[in-house]
Amino acid sequence: MEVVCIAVPPLEHMTRVVHLATTAVASRIGLNIDQADDINTALDELFRLSLSQKAGIGQEFCVRYDIHKDRLEVLAEKMQMSIGDVTSKVSRYKRFIIEKVSDRYEERTNPEGGFDVLLVKFLSD
Amino acid sequence: MTNQHHNSLSREEINSLFRTYKDNKEPEVKNVLVGAYMDLVHSLARRFANRGEPLDDLVQVASMGLLKAIDRFDPDRGVQFTTYAVPTIVGEIRRYFRDRSSAIRLPRGLRERSFMLNTAIQKFSQENGRTPNVSEIAAAVGISEEDVIEGLESNEATTVASLDTTTEEGDLSLLDIVGGEDQTLKMLDERLSLAGAMSTLDSREQNLLYLRFIEGLSQTEIADRLDISQMHVSRLLRRTLQSLRQNLTTSSREPYIS
Repeated sequence: MEVVCIAVPPLEHMTRVVHLATTAVASRIGLNIDQADDINTALDELFRLSLSQKAGIGQEFCVRYDIHKDRLEVLAEKMQMSIGDVTSKVSRYKRFIIEKVSDRYEERTNPEGGFDVLLVKFLSD
Repeated sequence: MTNQHHNSLSREEINSLFRTYKDNKEPEVKNVLVGAYMDLVHSLARRFANRGEPLDDLVQVASMGLLKAIDRFDPDRGVQFTTYAVPTIVGEIRRYFRDRSSAIRLPRGLRERSFMLNTAIQKFSQENGRTPNVSEIAAAVGISEEDVIEGLESNEATTVASLDTTTEEGDLSLLDIVGGEDQTLKMLDERLSLAGAMSTLDSREQNLLYLRFIEGLSQTEIADRLDISQMHVSRLLRRTLQSLRQNLTTSSREPYIS
């Protein structure tokens, strides 16, 4: 397994840097451009969720890519807002989008604060 | 359309050729038909001259439109070919301008690369029935994977084409096409429970979301259904999601940093 990590300032235009990294990493295992765009869509939702809460200011957005033979696991670390909050309309919307564009996803509480969100995209046959 | 435009072929002869081509798809017949309508191609291309693109390029693009029109024309419908072909050819030219224009003026090389990628993605998808990956696009275009990734990302930097943009059919806009599934909007709204935010979206934007997130079509499949490029679908979806997100954050009184 290969691992790639990237950290960018929590600024809107920096999401483009993450897009570039995602597309590059996704292409390494042969994910097609639709699938790469799916991951970028999910990351957009996660990042902008934090941006919208202002809580991400001053912290970096950290993304870890675990490259497996059959799948790509993307971990967005220390997100400031849970996507599991059923009382929040924004949270429900973002969870819906993430659910649709990921093959699998899960949210975990980070011991150092915030939430880690794991997105999995499997390589098609 | 007069007989002179058809290189001395009568209307009956033209109709006969179209019927033959419809039945046999013989390249020789198609070539005769192309030759018969090249005056029309030149005439339509000249309408768009002096807009910053070489006339030769416009003639090439218009010719592509003519080929599509010949392939799709049904002589048994009682419509003259020119009536059918003009919107198709003009649509092709407009699409060419759309793909080459943006509010953020990208370097010429990057614009041309983006155009090549668009073409390569469409061609690959049609030939292989699936979406290409970056290395396949790189191989098709003959550039490095890094250049492909940069080109794909530059696509996002350009202005999102309007939903009013005409499609390959020329006289149809995306609004006409995407807006064709209104009965499903309520379902999407209910699924998302986003009544307030969804209502602020154009019904066509809602339908685009429906195709992607309820019907589960990939961007390439949506592109195929709407007869637009995958890169265009990507831009439209991203803009629509951004609108929805902004509406939601506004309605939830959550500050949004743009």
